[in-house]
Amino acid sequence: MAKIMLKLPKLAVSMQEGTLREWFVESGAQVTLGQPIYALETEKTTVEIESPFEGTFTCIGEVGETYKVGDPIAEILQ
Amino acid sequence: MSDQAFPNALPQVTALSIYKTMTRIEACDQRIQQLLAAGALQFQYYPCGGQEAIPASIAPLLNTDDQVVTTYRGVHDIVAKGTPMVEIIAEMMGKVNGTSKGKGGAMHLSDPNAGIMVTTGIVGAGLPIANGLALAAQLKGTGRVVVVNFGEGASNIGSFNESINMAALWDLPVVFLCQNNAYAEYTSFAESTRSKSIAGRAAGYGLAGETVDGTDPDAIHGAAKIAIDRARSGKGPTLLECNAYRLQGHSFGSEEDHMDQEELAAARANPPIAKFRAALIERGDATAADLDAIEAAAKAEVEEAVEQSMAADMPGEDELYRDVFADTADIPYVGTAAAKAEPDLSGRAIQNITMCQAITEALDLALEKDPDVFLLGEDIADPAGGVTKATVGLSTKHGVDRVRATPISEQAIIGAAIGASLSGMKPVPEIMINDFTMVCMDQIANHAAKLRYMSGGRTSVPITIRTVTAGNIGNFAAQHSQSLEAFFTHTPGMKVVAPSTAADAKGLLLAAIADPDPVMVIEPMRCYYVPAEVPEGYYEIPLGKAAVRREGKDVTLISYGWAAVEAAAAAEALAADGIDAEVIDLRSLVPLDFATCLASVEKTGRAVIAHAAVEFGGFGAELAAKLSEELHGKLKAPIKRVGGTYTPVPFTPSLESLHFLTSDRIKDVAQGIAG
Repeated sequence: MAKIMLKLPKLAVSMQEGTLREWFVESGAQVTLGQPIYALETEKTTVEIESPFEGTFTCIGEVGETYKVGDPIAEILQ
Repeated sequence: MSDQAFPNALPQVTALSIYKTMTRIEACDQRIQQLLAAGALQFQYYPCGGQEAIPASIAPLLNTDDQVVTTYRGVHDIVAKGTPMVEIIAEMMGKVNGTSKGKGGAMHLSDPNAGIMVTTGIVGAGLPIANGLALAAQLKGTGRVVVVNFGEGASNIGSFNESINMAALWDLPVVFLCQNNAYAEYTSFAESTRSKSIAGRAAGYGLAGETVDGTDPDAIHGAAKIAIDRARSGKGPTLLECNAYRLQGHSFGSEEDHMDQEELAAARANPPIAKFRAALIERGDATAADLDAIEAAAKAEVEEAVEQSMAADMPGEDELYRDVFADTADIPYVGTAAAKAEPDLSGRAIQNITMCQAITEALDLALEKDPDVFLLGEDIADPAGGVTKATVGLSTKHGVDRVRATPISEQAIIGAAIGASLSGMKPVPEIMINDFTMVCMDQIANHAAKLRYMSGGRTSVPITIRTVTAGNIGNFAAQHSQSLEAFFTHTPGMKVVAPSTAADAKGLLLAAIADPDPVMVIEPMRCYYVPAEVPEGYYEIPLGKAAVRREGKDVTLISYGWAAVEAAAAAEALAADGIDAEVIDLRSLVPLDFATCLASVEKTGRAVIAHAAVEFGGFGAELAAKLSEELHGKLKAPIKRVGGTYTPVPFTPSLESLHFLTSDRIKDVAQGIAG
């Protein structure tokens, strides 16, 4: 059982922070590879972040909050 | 369906092998980007999308021991050459099971087992090193071929010119593989290049050139076969250009505004893998189900590698200093280099020869002792015998293969030495004058010094760079007189030696050549032609062992290179004035015999550090600071430095004499604190 921390991704070279706009899954849910998990608003656009693994999902970030690149946003337990 | 009819030139087994490699590359490249996009990983990544067919089509032509050099956009080259997937992905995650124990990272994978010798983050820097790998193959007769990958942007950097000329001149078994992906970072081919193609330049250099569609495995394989056969049969290098449109921006997450949007959309609509898949089905080489199975296997392989990489550890603190040098004892302040023993030369016959002759003798002895030793540099072969005459007679005795005159191409000289050393040879490149090392600083500082560390100790660069400083011999002016050791002592991984006597010059040079790490030996021309006592035969003066030239109790004079001669003279003058100076000649700066300095200054309570180099920011500043830290409260006076003035070296004698230190200046400064 591996625990994988998902951090706020750096989606552009100059990106420093992003705002968590919406969760598409709840804590405790099973997610699949490629499933959209949350909406991230950056300076330029809003993107759907997809799950990079299968597993049990835990939300860490709060909707509406702005996070720095590298801040923990969610966790997946494989 | 493909929009292009592929000639069914490749045997089915080869075609399917190429397809399999392409899918493995794509699965790896896409999975890494997926992990980056989700925030499961974070590092700078340069995707290879669009270029998968190039190394995949060449891979069936290469043996495991054939060698590849690539760049930061090189994961496709590395997968294709056979590096295990888990080692690639783990290295990108900085884990202990990566190719380089996580110490190289995504831009610097190296896997000598698979023939991946260097992955460089410096545009164009791989070409000179590939020449060296090829030179070793040629000298040793291994039959190996070297493929060096670079982008079309690299063809506009100086090392391209130097390397291609040298390879053509020496018929080196190398394929210069230009992966022309239409964009050099954020700049299009048209905006950076007047010529229509890169391969078209080959004719001007006197080597074969070919341009092919880099998305077409049949075309790539066919052209590469000719190039590789040419290299393997001793007929020399080829400049092979494969055009393959980059299917994304420069790096992961970088914008694509600089790319022609119509071209990009068209290329993305028909990527090389989809095109080849359709062709394989059309030809009857495979069914859709066969190819689905290949793709699924590639994804499964990558997934297993991701899982193993995620589960692995990052290296612990014990790895921080490991792989800087072969032995951590050689790291300044960390190790104890001074523990090395001086050779017993008491029974040796003594000859009266100059430093220059002592160096010639050392090179002769090294060439005799070890068949892997060879020399290369401008003008070093007979009848010239080098501009300083340090290599006179050596090419006549050992042959022009082992005492090799080169074009005026400093980057290519050092690169050739680095590459040959990666293949186990012990090259001794000469950079005529210390000032000219600035021309090849990238090869020295970014490659020679760092490859052991970047590869997690899997490769090493045992080269000895000989270079003369012509400081204070009169009228050599600003670009031929500098002592630039501080640039190199500031580069972890580089050893720096600066003899002041003929006997030391011989013994230190022999130790440097035998050393497992890159060493720069800075030979002082001011001491070059003065006869002195030199023991006969082979001996090594250990690197990192200072010589106490004179014992004294009042003040310590620390120096090296030609300034050490001035320090010794200053000590005699001080003695006449009743000041008893101890004189330390460091002989090597890295490794550094700090223990001898510390013990002496603790005893005398006073220190003057004298060097030929500019005082501001010089090596003396480091030594003074460290001695002050260690001996705070025990010093009887502030530590003083004597070096060159903060000016370029002036030409005219009236100013040159003010720039350089003299024994009188050392004496005055010492008197000021000890008088």
